[in-house]
Amino acid sequence: MTQDPSSQGQSSSQGRVNFFRPLPGFMRKKVHYIWILLASWAVFTFGFQFILVLLQEGPAGCSQLTTTRFLGFPFHYWFSGQFLILWFILLCLLYNLFVDKLTNEYRKRK
Amino acid sequence: MLAEHLKLAPALLLFAVLALFIIVGLASRTAKGEYYLVSGRSVGSVGIGAAIASNWMSAASILGIAGIFYLQGYFAFAYVIGWTGGYVLLLILMGGQIRRFGKYTAPEFVEARYESPIARVLSASIAILISLVYCVAQYKGVGLVFSWIFGLDYIPSLLFGTAVVISYLVLSGTLGALRNQRFHYTVLILCFILPLVLVARKMGFFWLVPQVGYGEALQEIAFHADNAGTAPWLHGTPYQWIALCFTLMVGTAGLPHVLSRFYTVPNIRDARWSVMWGLVFIGLLYWSAPAYATFAKLWELRHGLVTDPATAKAIADIIVIKAAEWAGLPVWITGIVALAAILAAFSTITGLLITGAGAFSYDIYYQLINPRATERQRMIVAKITTLVLAMLVLIVAANPPGLIAEITAVAFALAGNTLFPIFLLGIWWDRTNKQGAIAGMLLGLVVTFIPLLLGPWLPWLTAILPPTGSALIGAPLVILVTIGVSLLTPPPPDRIRRFLLEKVHTP
Repeated sequence: MTQDPSSQGQSSSQGRVNFFRPLPGFMRKKVHYIWILLASWAVFTFGFQFILVLLQEGPAGCSQLTTTRFLGFPFHYWFSGQFLILWFILLCLLYNLFVDKLTNEYRKRK
Repeated sequence: MLAEHLKLAPALLLFAVLALFIIVGLASRTAKGEYYLVSGRSVGSVGIGAAIASNWMSAASILGIAGIFYLQGYFAFAYVIGWTGGYVLLLILMGGQIRRFGKYTAPEFVEARYESPIARVLSASIAILISLVYCVAQYKGVGLVFSWIFGLDYIPSLLFGTAVVISYLVLSGTLGALRNQRFHYTVLILCFILPLVLVARKMGFFWLVPQVGYGEALQEIAFHADNAGTAPWLHGTPYQWIALCFTLMVGTAGLPHVLSRFYTVPNIRDARWSVMWGLVFIGLLYWSAPAYATFAKLWELRHGLVTDPATAKAIADIIVIKAAEWAGLPVWITGIVALAAILAAFSTITGLLITGAGAFSYDIYYQLINPRATERQRMIVAKITTLVLAMLVLIVAANPPGLIAEITAVAFALAGNTLFPIFLLGIWWDRTNKQGAIAGMLLGLVVTFIPLLLGPWLPWLTAILPPTGSALIGAPLVILVTIGVSLLTPPPPDRIRRFLLEKVHTP
């Protein structure tokens, strides 16, 4: 398929939107931070359940984690029922602070 | 049998508060009588956050979480974490970008991004299906609570409740009453937490913050059952927990009426911060719901009651009311939490029916059936569709296929398997094209409904793709297929790719 050279050049210079190959500058910094937050979100949520499985002493999943008390709760109840919601709120807070800062930075450059 | 007798105080309270909401709604209109999706003046990100939480609260939040927790203990946290963790995904992957795209509904976004009427109609159909499934859960909540208040059997209560909600919808619409969502949230959260405080106090636990006090109640339950009562995998495997949690997360990020919150926010920064505040307000509810279930369970244990599984399942979805009732609270205070459930269900039903009707009237009827329809004709079609959808939901809700939380989870599985991948790729990969989007949505429908419909005959399939947790495999699969089909077919027009780069992804 023949492609107009000027059009191709224009397209190339403008780059593309790809989460796995973000463009330098604003997009790349943002995606980098998104990866960090995604990892934090996934590791704490699913990682903890994995640890519960890893340490369990029977099919029901009892272990030292489930018999330990923390702030009055069995630890796994506190972690999944109380802490994780706080963790999510914190992740949202950090993202907003970061994007506010990044947006201000890049708007000044224009 | 849930039916007992008419409880006058809760009944009067219900109609009084519905009337109050209409009055407040009328007072919320602007002086010119103009209609804004958001109040004309800026309300700030905290206020928008309360609106998000208000939009989120439903029978699944008020009744369903406690019900599933009462029956399944730790497994229920998959719902809590799924329905809160999804907001992180929504914020960091899609919220700001969706707002920048500048469209007002999910189908409009799909058409603008993919330039395909077929994709638009498909996404509209999916949005309608999601609304229908979600509404079944709400209707069940209404039926159960009306049954408790009015002493009727479930079916008559369902019919009565439906009549009341439709009347409320018509009356609000006719009078032009706006839903003041911050007021709505405030009323709901107070109605939900106040009785909980009193239950905790009656049960002898730390009642100033019952969300913390119920930890001791859990310890007491664990003591009764030699720690087994709080074991994590008593009621489901780790795979099922993770699949369910993940499904609810991506479903949250893909749900049309959640995404629609972003289209109407005045500026992008407020949109982002409102998600965080919305999560705080939603968290307040999700920290509280398990406490109701725990206190109810402990009350049974303390009184030596052994509830048989069938009865437990029957009362699970109104366990918040039972907890208050069993603790010996006055009937009008118990009625307050029942009221919260009805108000949450009503607002969700009206929102979902309007979304579904709008999708049909505008995205299907106008685009596909009658492109020359006038605005008046489209409005008539929307109203007829609202009633038709309401009747369809009624038919299914008459014999609900599961707990409120479970039914709701299926709606999320559908959103997570279809709209989430198409939105995510639509925003973050400019090479995604209409063929890919259409293939992805069709596959998402297949992945969602085959375990639902053929589950009894294919037990191995429901093991891999549980009806409430199919997106753990479904969403990645849809993403891969969408990418594959997009790469095998021509790229999208350059102007769309340029728009993505220059408008959606710049500061």
